[in-house]
Amino acid sequence: MDDEQTRLRFEALMLPLMNDAYTLARWLMKNQEDAEDMVQESYMRAFRFFPSFQGTNGRGWLLQIVRNTCYTALESRKLKQKEAPLEEEPEELEDPAPLPFVSLDKKATIKTVREAIEALPADFREVIVLREVEGLSYKEIAEVSGVAIGTVMSRLARARHHLSLSLLERKESGQL
Amino acid sequence: MTCQECHDFIDAYIDNELDVAASILVKQHLRDCAQCRPLLESRKALRSLLSNPQLHFEAPESLRGRIQSALPVAPLPAIRREKMRSINPWLFVPLGLAAAFAILLGLVSINQNVMLGRSDISPLVEEVISSHVRSLLATHLLDVPSSDQHTVKPWFEGKLRFSPTVHDFTDHGFRLIGGRLDYVKDREVAALVYQRNKHAINLFTWPSESAREAAPQSFVKDGNNVLHWAHAGFEYWAVSDVNQEDLRAFADLEIKGI
Repeated sequence: MDDEQTRLRFEALMLPLMNDAYTLARWLMKNQEDAEDMVQESYMRAFRFFPSFQGTNGRGWLLQIVRNTCYTALESRKLKQKEAPLEEEPEELEDPAPLPFVSLDKKATIKTVREAIEALPADFREVIVLREVEGLSYKEIAEVSGVAIGTVMSRLARARHHLSLSLLERKESGQL
Repeated sequence: MTCQECHDFIDAYIDNELDVAASILVKQHLRDCAQCRPLLESRKALRSLLSNPQLHFEAPESLRGRIQSALPVAPLPAIRREKMRSINPWLFVPLGLAAAFAILLGLVSINQNVMLGRSDISPLVEEVISSHVRSLLATHLLDVPSSDQHTVKPWFEGKLRFSPTVHDFTDHGFRLIGGRLDYVKDREVAALVYQRNKHAINLFTWPSESAREAAPQSFVKDGNNVLHWAHAGFEYWAVSDVNQEDLRAFADLEIKGI
C-alpha cells in the first residue's frame, strides 16, 4: 500500500495549497492559461520529489517548485523567441534612498494595483507577491527564491519603493 | 539611529522581522524624526492597498481534476483486476479506508443475495449499489467534475437520449460535485454525484417506463443505504453510506426540486 499511501498523503498535503500555487504562478506568468499549466507541471514535479520532502513547510516547498517551474518556462521561451527579454532586469541601484516620500492614499482601484504589480520587474514582483499576497516570512521567501535573507530585505525595500512610485505615477496620470 | 539606518530597517520593522532591540530603536526614531514618519505612512498605505483579497487568484475548478488525473496511477495491490484511480479529494481518505476495509472483510461481493421481499426490484438495488461501489473504488467517480448544475446538465445532453434534471443543494448540505455516465439495467443512465460531509451520494436517474409516481422506498445492504423513487417521469436511485435520514432528506430536496 506504500505507493497508494504516498499518493494519498501527497494529495492531502498538497492539493489544499492549489490556490496559493496558482496565485504565485498567475502573478509570475501574468496569464491564466500559462498559470494553469505551470501549476499542473509543478504538481507533477512535486509528486516526483515528494519522497524527499521531509519538512514541515509544505507550502514553502510547493511554492519553491512553482517558482522554479515558472522561471524555467519563461527562460526557455525567451531563448526560443530570441526576443528582447520578457522582463526588464531590475536596475542595479546601490541605494534606493533617498526615497521621495510617496504619499499614497488607499483609493487606488484594484485594477490599478494589479497593473502596477504586473509592471514590476520579475524579481520585485516575486518578492512582493510572496510577502504581501502569500504572506511568507523573510526566511520562507529566502528559501523559495533561493537567496539570502539579507537579499530578501533589500529586494523587498526596493520593490516597495518601485511599486509606490509606480502607483504614484498612475495617480498623477489620473488612473488612481 | 540615523535616518539612513531607519530607511534600511523600516521594511523589516513593519514586517515584524526585527529583533526586539532593533525594533525599539526604529520605533523611537520614527517617533522623534518628522522626516522619516511619512515613509512609514507610505509603507502602511501600500500595505493596505496590497492587502486586498482580490490580489489572490482562485484556481479554476477543473485544474484539480486535471492534476489528479495526471498524477501517476498507483495500483492497489489488494485488487488486481481494477486499478485505483483518483477520486474526489474530499472523499478519498474516508472512502479509501472504507474501501480497503470492505475489501478486507470481503464485503464487496455483489452476488450476495439480499432479502428485499420484492424480487423485481432487488436486482436493481444490487446493480445500483455495485455501480456506486465501483464508482468510488475502482473506475471513476466523475466524468464531469463541477459543482455547477449549468455545467453538469449540458454535459449529459450530448451523451444521453434524455436530459436529467440537475440541482445543487449545497445550501442544504448536499453539494453537487459532478456527474458521469453509468450503466444500469444495460442502459445508459445519468449518475449525479453529491457530497454530504465526507460521503459521496450517487444519484442514478433515467426516464421511467411508466408514468407512475413512486414514493421513496429504502433498502439497506452492506452498509449502503439505497432510496428509490419515481417522480415527474424519471426513476431515481440514490445510493450512499450516509445515514437513512440524510438520504431521505436528500430525496425530499430532489423531489421538491429546490
